[in-house]
Amino acid sequence: MGKVIVVTSGKGGVGKSTSTANLGTALAVLGKKVAVVDADVGLRNLDVIMGLESRVVYTSMDVLEGVCELEQALVKDRRTKDLYLLAASQKNNKNDIQPEQMKKLCLELKETHDYVLVDSPAGIEQGFQNAAAGADDALVVTTPEVAAVRDADRIIGLLQNMAINNLTLIINRLSPEMVKTGDMMEPTDIIDILSIDLIGVIPEDKEIVVSTNRGMPTTYNHKSDAGQAYKRIAQRLEGEDVPIPEFKSGGFAGWVGKLFKG
Amino acid sequence: MFRRLMQLLNREQKSKSVAKSRLQLILVQDRTGIDEEIMESLQTELTEVLSKYFILEREQVEVELEREQDSMALVANIPVLGTKVRHPVEA
Repeated sequence: MGKVIVVTSGKGGVGKSTSTANLGTALAVLGKKVAVVDADVGLRNLDVIMGLESRVVYTSMDVLEGVCELEQALVKDRRTKDLYLLAASQKNNKNDIQPEQMKKLCLELKETHDYVLVDSPAGIEQGFQNAAAGADDALVVTTPEVAAVRDADRIIGLLQNMAINNLTLIINRLSPEMVKTGDMMEPTDIIDILSIDLIGVIPEDKEIVVSTNRGMPTTYNHKSDAGQAYKRIAQRLEGEDVPIPEFKSGGFAGWVGKLFKG
Repeated sequence: MFRRLMQLLNREQKSKSVAKSRLQLILVQDRTGIDEEIMESLQTELTEVLSKYFILEREQVEVELEREQDSMALVANIPVLGTKVRHPVEA
């Protein structure tokens, strides 16, 4: 029996789908059997980020309506062994699926997969409720910005109310240079505020745009900092003890501070 | 003195510190549902009650909800100029 993990954030545009695609790929590369599920009904994009859009025949809606079997709706990613995508319907809207249905779908998927990663839509409405309905654990994605962290806090509260207690945080698009100069919140600042465990920090990386253009998750790119950071998160999900690189403010004031604090 | 030195070196507060303190304030309101209006009326009522017993410097009264990690505290700074309770000798 595998594990269902919802990837969520509250705020849009912080990198939920990119994180889902890359973590799914990274886990499959580690030899795990993985299903990534797009729960963004009506606004699907996980298929595009993974470069599988041309091969989607059926969606989760077709499975729920009995048009096809679950097996038939899973698109196999040919670049990696044991990586599958379940696409969202583009013709329906978020209220067409009920949390109970999503729960059943997740249960079925985790019987045959080690990991089921559910890409949640932005917001806190039904789409999010559906995405989280069948989840055992959650990965909360945020960027080091006030609005994104605020929404992450809201989502954390909602997940806890749903009794999803194994929550970890991904800080995405962190610019090490800006952290160094004191113009971006550093991971410890964000952890202080949200009081949940950090599972990884993804540095800002132009390769993300390139890989999205190509439909090739950046995890495949050994030179990409972001891709490598996703790989490390996958290893941590697998229980490996991989340290998180430190990103701290520095400069002269920081140096003097260190002298005083020892 | 150390703090002074840091202030001199960082004459202008770094934007990340501004972001952090803004967030802390926003989240206190988000998490408790207590907004500025409620805090103001709390402060007014509190000042009125306390004024029965003390002479307060009303303009300087500050009441704030503060948050640290998992705990929260109501912090009030209320400058007292004198008491209104009569001294037994004067009576």
